[in-house]
Amino acid sequence: MTHDVEQSVMDAMRAPVAIGSERYNTILTFLYHEASLLDNLKISEWGNILATDLLYNIPIRHTRSSRDNAMSVVRTCQHMLDDYRSMLGRIMRLEGNSAWAEDPPSRVRRFITNVLVYETDKADEFLVVSNMLVTRNRFDDDQYDLISGVRTDILRLDEASYKLARREIILDQAVLGTPNLGIFL
Amino acid sequence: MSRNKNELADGTNIADLVRIDTREVQMRTLEDREIYELEQERLFGKTWLMLGHESEIPNSNDFVLRYMGDDSVIVTRTKDGEVHVSLNVCPHRGMKICTTEAGNSPVHTCIYHGWAFRSNGDFLGSPIEKECMHGKIMEKEELGLRKARVTLYGGLIFATWNLEGESFDEFLGDAKWYYDLMFCRSDAGMEVAGPPQRFIVRANWKTAGEQSAADGFHTLMLHRWLGEVGNYKKEGAGSDLAEEMYGAEVSSPHGHALRCIDLARKIRRLTGKEPSELSLEEKLRILPPPGMTAETVDQLKNNLTDDQMEVLAWMPPQVGGMFPNIVFAFIYIPQPDGTVIGSMALHTYVPKGPDKLEFMNWVLVEKDTPPELKEQMVKQTLNLLGTSGMVEQDDSDTWPQMTISAKGPQGSKSTMKYQAIYETSKPKGWPGPGIVNEGFTKDDTQWHWWLYWLELMTAEK
Ligand code: FES
Ligand SMILES: [Fe+2]
Repeated sequence: MTHDVEQSVMDAMRAPVAIGSERYNTILTFLYHEASLLDNLKISEWGNILATDLLYNIPIRHTRSSRDNAMSVVRTCQHMLDDYRSMLGRIMRLEGNSAWAEDPPSRVRRFITNVLVYETDKADEFLVVSNMLVTRNRFDDDQYDLISGVRTDILRLDEASYKLARREIILDQAVLGTPNLGIFL
Repeated sequence: MSRNKNELADGTNIADLVRIDTREVQMRTLEDREIYELEQERLFGKTWLMLGHESEIPNSNDFVLRYMGDDSVIVTRTKDGEVHVSLNVCPHRGMKICTTEAGNSPVHTCIYHGWAFRSNGDFLGSPIEKECMHGKIMEKEELGLRKARVTLYGGLIFATWNLEGESFDEFLGDAKWYYDLMFCRSDAGMEVAGPPQRFIVRANWKTAGEQSAADGFHTLMLHRWLGEVGNYKKEGAGSDLAEEMYGAEVSSPHGHALRCIDLARKIRRLTGKEPSELSLEEKLRILPPPGMTAETVDQLKNNLTDDQMEVLAWMPPQVGGMFPNIVFAFIYIPQPDGTVIGSMALHTYVPKGPDKLEFMNWVLVEKDTPPELKEQMVKQTLNLLGTSGMVEQDDSDTWPQMTISAKGPQGSKSTMKYQAIYETSKPKGWPGPGIVNEGFTKDDTQWHWWLYWLELMTAEK
């Protein structure tokens, strides 16, 4: 099922939705809005934009030779592998009283760029590829944890807005430089 | 310099960092560069270290890169099926031989000048054979990669630089009886779900290491959310997390530790019956060990003694560690529908300097766990443990703070205390060996971990 996303990226590459078109703009607005919800710790509001059939995963990255580079994305074991129900569990934990890993919360900024939108076989679903740079700072650290990667999303039209139905985040580090993924990407 | 080997540069005796009479350890141990360097020699250069699982390298010439202390090593499977561990340092000028994390190759060729090595580490030759660029001073046999001593245990790959030292079985000692309950119980054995998660925590490796030696107590506070919104939330109000703190703890003079947690409450919940009303077989079928099923529990008697099976059905080891830097979790997680699904994971905390560690997390399943259950187990394990694990996020946020505490001139002189001491002994009728105490989790196992740390750190006379 995870391969479908890559395959659909390939298929979709033919026909990106024009940058600046109305469709593109509404999707870009959705992504910016989503990032701002998370940056501002509106976690349960973020939960409201998740589709009930959500799949959300973060593969492991492996340093492999150029010849084997296809194997640099590992989806057997992953950093994160969630569905709607488990995501609600995470949100519930964060909204509770004892989620120490994010209490006090990290100061996080999500920079979403290079957004490309593709139509899919389904009229109400769009494939959205975006680059992501996340800065995370905790306590009185002078340094930032940087988390960068590419996100492949399926957004589903839901009345006036969209729901996030699928997200895979391919990170750029084989060894993550942040002590946990207690934040959503 | 003719300083006493067990003395630090400022004249502090290493032995004085641990106060035996009051069971205290100086915070300085968590931060000091000199101590860290001694650990590289005296601990990571001496003990058996876990590098992974043989299911990561199933085919001949498969390899993965791992660390033994600060040293990179190549873990390979040769044509004859043997597992070899070689230092990933070219004997020519010190380039890394292998620069990819995993792969398959019968020959490892250094990309600097082209010296080539077989997958068992033997030197094959250097380019332009007739010019003999490896010289004539040393024999080819002397130019191979430095080889570690390797042993496999329940499919886990262990290696040590201590070529003449104790055997792996001696290293485990009495604790082996209990580890067998996890790693050597089924016919087909374990496999990894995939390669390990890897991430950096800016903390001294011992903050994680000493916790692994079965700090049961911290669960109550640090992982309190489990009782508030998680799987241990009681119907109605409150948490029954404290109940999970009762059981038996196994200590080891080698710093290994296991927390054996009573399954009685889970069995009561599943059956409405007292465990004493059920036979051993019934108990195991009702609540099989993680990754096993009512069908596969029949295999247990092929691999374990009756005594071992009794402990497995009564108070199986669920969390604990192996000295110096391994933690295991073999846990039974209650589901919303009242059933139980197991999770199994192993971590190592690889030292990366006095204030940095690499957290490696392998997710395990039984080879013959049915595919659907495998998938559920992997998902649940990733949800609770490791990088994004809702439980272990809190640990990885705590250890850096302890490390920072140890940097303060006053903080470094502060101590960690292990003064909650068992006043019990083995549970009545307990058939297992070793130092075993019953009741609410106490500090003994972690204290034994520090005693073994001290023993190795002061071993050089
Ligand atoms: S350093 Fe490896 S061949 Fe020269
Ligand atoms: Fe913990």
